[in-house]
Amino acid sequence: MTAPNTLTERYVQEVVRRIPADQRTDVADELRATIADTAEAREDETPEAAERAVITEMGDPIRLAAKYADRPLALIGPDLYPAYIRLLVVLMSTVLPIAVLAVVVIDALDGDNSVGSLIGAAIGGVLTIGGQMFAWLTVIFALIDRMRRTDAAAKSLVWTPDMLPALRRAPDKGGLAAYASVVWYASLIAAIVWQHAAAPYRLDDGSQVEVLNPALWSNWIWPIIGGLAVMAALEIVRIVRRGWTLALVIAYTVADLVFALPLAWIFYDRQILNPEFLADFNGEWTTPAAFYSGAAIVVIAVSVTEAYKRFRMLSKV
Amino acid sequence: MLFVGTEETILNLAQELRRGTVVLACLALLDEPQYGYALLETLNDAGITVDGNTLYPLLRRLEKQGLLISEWNTEESRPRKFYRASDEGSRVRDGLTREWHDLAASIARLTTETT
Repeated sequence: MTAPNTLTERYVQEVVRRIPADQRTDVADELRATIADTAEAREDETPEAAERAVITEMGDPIRLAAKYADRPLALIGPDLYPAYIRLLVVLMSTVLPIAVLAVVVIDALDGDNSVGSLIGAAIGGVLTIGGQMFAWLTVIFALIDRMRRTDAAAKSLVWTPDMLPALRRAPDKGGLAAYASVVWYASLIAAIVWQHAAAPYRLDDGSQVEVLNPALWSNWIWPIIGGLAVMAALEIVRIVRRGWTLALVIAYTVADLVFALPLAWIFYDRQILNPEFLADFNGEWTTPAAFYSGAAIVVIAVSVTEAYKRFRMLSKV
Repeated sequence: MLFVGTEETILNLAQELRRGTVVLACLALLDEPQYGYALLETLNDAGITVDGNTLYPLLRRLEKQGLLISEWNTEESRPRKFYRASDEGSRVRDGLTREWHDLAASIARLTTETT
């Protein structure tokens, strides 16, 4: 027997298909009777108009079915929401950056690595990995939320006072500059390694060469990279400690010198650039000697200034 | 800040006050067996305003909790599901009634002290 295609039948069908199967017939029969009773009591012009008005009052079938099934109308209910947000923040702020970095490194090692394609890989990584994390976390929590309704014992994510974060301290004034320095040193190291690994400059004959002198990799490049790495590490220590100590600044100055003196020397000695690259890049033109000595002086001046700035930050504390 | 009119605020908060009273009213009325729509009418006439889409699922929930018993009556032209309070339902009703009187007394004391 098929039910007549009335508004009531269509409404009842939409409600009962969302509730447990063992209750469907009963709820459907009761709904039909109730709608008919209510429509009968109304003083509308036609039975059809009354039926429509009653069903409009009953409202969205999804909402009504949720009430019958005693089911939440939220994907993640209020009990689980705090745990969900906490976990989401942890994932997005720690796991996501690591995963994206891994994608970019793999992409760089894979050969095709213009700066553009690496940035593209990073953005793509953030969107796909971040999207996946968000989606799966949400799905898992929605499932937990639904299972917990039958198993109220799942109390492992209960909030305790121990979970309160420490008081936020006064803003760290030099903190942002320290972060910027870490990024800058890391970028320099990455750029040096990248141009060595990828040989990005294309000669007229189609072969690819490094920009920096490959011979440096048997000597001067190591103190330069080492100095940068130590400076970056000291800046990170500075961020964690929220300030410089005398020992840190002295260590920084030493690392700064280990970095800057070889760099200034290879500028001054005109060893820095790859001769093949230089010949192709300059063509007929010859770089004046003043450029190299000038660059060497700038390197020394900048390094001295950087060390001096950190000593001054020390005295202000 | 979002400001709504005083009337609207009272209406919203009154709705929250009334929410819990529907259960007590149902248990009180269902000493005698009654079907959904008739119960709704009786409640509304008695000043307990409740929507059908809240009342009907609520009746089933109370039945599931063992506070109500239901029975289909097929004698009349339209088969209807009749609900009445179980023994457990009657005991719960008595308890809730005591709570209600305590609450009313407390609120009465508080409001006479402050006004």
